Amino acid sequence: MTQFDGKGSQVTVGVPAGRLKPKRVRRNLDLTLWEKLYVFEIIRGMYVTTKHFALNMLGFVLPPRGKKRSVFTVYYPDEKVVLPPAYRGRPVLVMRPDGTERCVACGLCETACPGHAISIVGAERENGERYPLSYVLDMTRCVYCGFCEEVCPKEAIVMSSEYQGLAETDRSRMRYSKEQLLRSEESVKGRIEYIRRIYSKCNY
Amino acid sequence: MSEIAKDLHTEHMVINMGPSHPVTHGTVKFLVTLDGETIEDLKVEIGYLHRGFEKMCESGTWYQVFPYTDRLNYVSPLINNVGYALAVEKLIGIDVPERCKYVRVIACELSRIADHMTNVAAGGLELGAFTAFLYFVEARELVWDLIEMLCGARVTTNYVRIGGLKNDLPDGFKQKTLEVFKRCRVLWSDVNKLLTKNRVFIDRVRDVGTMPAEEAIAYGFTGPCLRACGVPYDVRKANPYLVYDRMDFEVPIGETGDNFDKYLVRMEEINQSMRIVEQALEQLPGGPINVDMPYYRWQSKDDIYNRIDSLIFHFKTVIEGIKPPPGEVYLAVESGNGELGFYLVSDGSGKPYKCRVRPPCFPLTAAMPRMMKGRLIADIVPTFDMINMIGGECDR
Ligand code: SF4
Ligand code: SF4
Repeated sequence: MTQFDGKGSQVTVGVPAGRLKPKRVRRNLDLTLWEKLYVFEIIRGMYVTTKHFALNMLGFVLPPRGKKRSVFTVYYPDEKVVLPPAYRGRPVLVMRPDGTERCVACGLCETACPGHAISIVGAERENGERYPLSYVLDMTRCVYCGFCEEVCPKEAIVMSSEYQGLAETDRSRMRYSKEQLLRSEESVKGRIEYIRRIYSKCNY
Repeated sequence: MSEIAKDLHTEHMVINMGPSHPVTHGTVKFLVTLDGETIEDLKVEIGYLHRGFEKMCESGTWYQVFPYTDRLNYVSPLINNVGYALAVEKLIGIDVPERCKYVRVIACELSRIADHMTNVAAGGLELGAFTAFLYFVEARELVWDLIEMLCGARVTTNYVRIGGLKNDLPDGFKQKTLEVFKRCRVLWSDVNKLLTKNRVFIDRVRDVGTMPAEEAIAYGFTGPCLRACGVPYDVRKANPYLVYDRMDFEVPIGETGDNFDKYLVRMEEINQSMRIVEQALEQLPGGPINVDMPYYRWQSKDDIYNRIDSLIFHFKTVIEGIKPPPGEVYLAVESGNGELGFYLVSDGSGKPYKCRVRPPCFPLTAAMPRMMKGRLIADIVPTFDMINMIGGECDR
């Protein structure tokens, strides 16, 4: 319950005083004459910004360790960020060494996908194996959640670390077919190992 | 002067600010009635980012709501994930393992740091302090790198699961966090030096957008904006969830609720959040991160590959969804902007019957006319920034 006292500046909300540790911020900073004069404050501010400038400049001109620049900015097409293994980029299908896909068209990823980005038409080979006749991934709808990878019982779809070319100027070009999505096992090996590690046991 | 003005024919001017104005962080429109430069009346029009969150939730399974919650407050998505997961767990009656609670606290506080940094940085930028923006965005970038390392994406995290987490902390996370915090503290103190005693900044924000405590409560303020009014209310202290009762942190409060108070409260909260993360990393226990209730968890891949019964059950849980018992719950967590509440109704089926969100910035936005009446038009800029209205959360 909330109670107000007469003045209204002190309000008690139902929290035991001992548990809550309020800390008043210092809002009434009295600026000294020195600070009010402003000129010296400008110099102090310039000191802060110049320090950053000088350090960045030094980091840019004289790379201290090895060849790597020590500035914060990444000069994108020349330099690339190092992505962590957890990174979720474009979902891709994994290809067996013989060129067929691992997917068995079970439809779990289609059901689990919150954006309804996947549509599968399943079929059967002569030897009785199921495979997706068509597997369309609509990247205009994908939200990169990773659920498809998490539910797939065959490790057939994984989130690769591809982040280039995800945007297009034409929506129709963003509907990827099975052929465009297939990647060899080697190229997504790291990711498969990663998902094996994190999803292998619920209670690790 | 007033004698002359009496005879002049003048009328109020109505102008539109927004929907896509640099000041309106999301997409929101102000209909401002001006008398000269003084605001006579202000109307806020929200809803430009409405995408039917609550209706979407009703058509997905309980699991499929997680990616949607990322897009509520898109500056601190992990807190939304945690809030929703806690609400569903309350509905089911699960208590998650200790380690999971600690990791969730770490995730929440990292998000809060990023949220407050963005807010203060943008506030500085709008008042012309571009340098402060760059420093805090650098710090935020480092924090987001940590979040990316943890869950694979910077903003669309989708990290928390019902009854646990997607994955454990990665290797070397603690050490990386401590390194990042060292840099964050340097940048924090630089921004502090540039803004806190800056006369131009103080003149623009002090005594602008004041709010008495009673009125703030009546409007339904929560979070940093309420604390800036001098009300020491924080969900983490008032109704501790996860392991916040074991953390040692202070709740910064202001006095008048003006923009300078809000700024100071947020700056202090960044520090307190860093303290919480450090304590949580220190106390982090070992053990499992997920509950051992296969009925509510997606099956582990080990079981799916090796056991036919698990595989069949996996199909069942994914296609039909997990089924919490019928009932309704409300659970609130402290998000970057205040009390983020989830009100869930279950009818025992695999889909939420209702998933209502209490957005913390809706009452704050509603108080904009009250705070702005009689002020100058330039005061909209800092006030609206310090309210930190997030379109994704307010409009849903
Ligand atoms: S990442 Fe998510 S949205 Fe994208 S295809 Fe997979 S399940 Fe669907
Ligand atoms: S879940 Fe895996 S095996 Fe099943 S349809 Fe999707 S990609 Fe294919």
